[in-house]
Amino acid sequence: MDSTNTDKASSRVAALHDWLDERTGIKAAMDSALNEPIRGGARWSYVFGSVLVFLFAVMVATGIAMTFYYVPSADHAHTSVAYIQKAVPGGKLIRGLHHYAASAMLIVAVIHLAQVFLFGAYKQRRELIWLTGTLMLLIVLGFSFTGYLLPWDQAAYFGTKVGASIAGEIPVVGPLQRRIMLGGEELTTITLSRFFTTHVFLLPLSLVGLLALHLLFFRRASPAGPYHDRDDKRIERFYPKQAFKDSVAMLAVFVILIYLAYRSPAELGPVADPTSDYLARPPWFFMPLFQLLKYFPGQSSLIPIMGIPALVFGLMFVLPFIDKRAERNPFKRKLGVGVLALFIFGAVGLIGLAKYEDSHHPEYGPKLAEQEKEAHAFLNAPFQPQEIGGKTAAAPADVSKVAAAPAAYVTSCAVCHGDKGQGDISPGLLGVADKPQRTREDLLKILDDARAYGLKKPMPESFPKLSAEEKAQIVDWMLTLKAK
Amino acid sequence: MSVHHEANEPSTEERRSFLGIISGLIAAGITAVLGINLGRFTLGPALAPSAGAADWTEAGALADIPDGKLIKRNIIVAQEAGWGKFVSERAIFVLKKGNDLTVFTAVCPHLGCTIQASAEKFLCACHNSQFDQSGTMLSGVAPRGMDTLEHLVEEGKLKVRYQNFKQGIPAKEVIG
Repeated sequence: MDSTNTDKASSRVAALHDWLDERTGIKAAMDSALNEPIRGGARWSYVFGSVLVFLFAVMVATGIAMTFYYVPSADHAHTSVAYIQKAVPGGKLIRGLHHYAASAMLIVAVIHLAQVFLFGAYKQRRELIWLTGTLMLLIVLGFSFTGYLLPWDQAAYFGTKVGASIAGEIPVVGPLQRRIMLGGEELTTITLSRFFTTHVFLLPLSLVGLLALHLLFFRRASPAGPYHDRDDKRIERFYPKQAFKDSVAMLAVFVILIYLAYRSPAELGPVADPTSDYLARPPWFFMPLFQLLKYFPGQSSLIPIMGIPALVFGLMFVLPFIDKRAERNPFKRKLGVGVLALFIFGAVGLIGLAKYEDSHHPEYGPKLAEQEKEAHAFLNAPFQPQEIGGKTAAAPADVSKVAAAPAAYVTSCAVCHGDKGQGDISPGLLGVADKPQRTREDLLKILDDARAYGLKKPMPESFPKLSAEEKAQIVDWMLTLKAK
Repeated sequence: MSVHHEANEPSTEERRSFLGIISGLIAAGITAVLGINLGRFTLGPALAPSAGAADWTEAGALADIPDGKLIKRNIIVAQEAGWGKFVSERAIFVLKKGNDLTVFTAVCPHLGCTIQASAEKFLCACHNSQFDQSGTMLSGVAPRGMDTLEHLVEEGKLKVRYQNFKQGIPAKEVIG
């Protein structure tokens, strides 16, 4: 291609761009998105927010894809997930990405919040950014809890059962809350429908709304920048340096997720069996609560169930309103940093302790190992389709007890409905009187105006050649036809 | 228009920087890997060739089929349907004339509506195609006569291989 041609082509692209821009304002929108000022310049430590948005996009894409096959019914959920995991091309990767991106979202969200906390970035009129962020963490936990049940395997069923019981322990509102959550007293197919709808409609919509507010407030306040003032004067635009760092971080996360999805496929155990003595263990993010429950007998269990979560989230909600000091340097905010460290190390420590106690327990250890082995065996077994539709060959109509039909029937009806009403090419008449709108009166009316009853061709509209007496004989005979 | 260009000049230049290209490549790469796999995942099973020839299905005892009289039977058909094997009923017509046995599917070769039988002929009420008892089209818009199904008699029982045929073309071609 010579240069004039290239020029022509590029001027056409420019013309198209202008055409679009006049109608959409895309240039201004892109500039505003890419030219966001970053005080103190681009940094690797600022990638976590973008990574969270990326992880959410991965969750949405893989989640929507899985609903092409997933069935939220206790009868079919497990088989449909096994089909996704074992039989659909790319299923192991898509479900694996969804599984690991879910955990990654929780981890990165905690890192993101911890960093904002450490750098004091919730200060200086940024309270609402912090608040929407905290609410989003709760939503992400809701995603994890509702998503965990959907495969309807042993771990999902028994894990959620305990989770629901915990929710039911809360004084006053607990039992009602549990009922609303489960759709009744027990974990049934209705529970699965509720969890599914919450997981794929309510929570995503809430998260999108909160995320929009979060970003809106963030853009209005502008990034907080470093906690010290050393290079406060230096301002870089989001594009290209921070955009580059964000992309590299996303790529790194994406590669790790793909590696995990193949290396250690998302778990799927045997189908939920409520009669089994399955030893329930929560997913890792509920492990700290699980471990704490061991130390609080009876009424005191309310401390880990309600007290600690209420304290943690309550503190988070009021934090930007009680901490009004301008100081952002974490080295000068010993109390706050101490609380954060206690929280993080405490949670990690409790998870470690729970795992350690389980693996060293004389009964639970082997039992959990055996359950894990069963889950692996199921995962590695070839996919078995489930028989659905429930049709078995219909037994031929029993006409042994049918009395001889009147002559008018034989000449006018038998050719289609069969000489004994068994139905040769048109519907059978056995048991017809038990059906709605088929009283003696109705049947007589049908013989005079079949269309009025919605009967279509080849049923004749009416039978003008039959006398009223003959019609009555036919109907009386029809009323003797029993279904069984 | 030129005013717009001038206002954007510095940022356009910056955008073409090396880092910008790398970022774009990363975004394109992630989108491609994710997109290809989402495509495989959502379309793969739909585009996969269906498995083998259809099974033989029992359609009752031969002795129960009246001679010279068209009858309708429902037979049980199992279909591969993703995670399930979908077992459902399908309508067929059987006509026995002495030793001649003809089995028709009730699916119209035009657009797949269900054909009904009257005492003398077949009718597809969707678009008014009519067929005689041998399945030959009498009138209407169907591209061919009614489709017959393979059948055999084993130990006095009629067995039918239920298949679907391409619609809207003059030739009878099995789907899948």
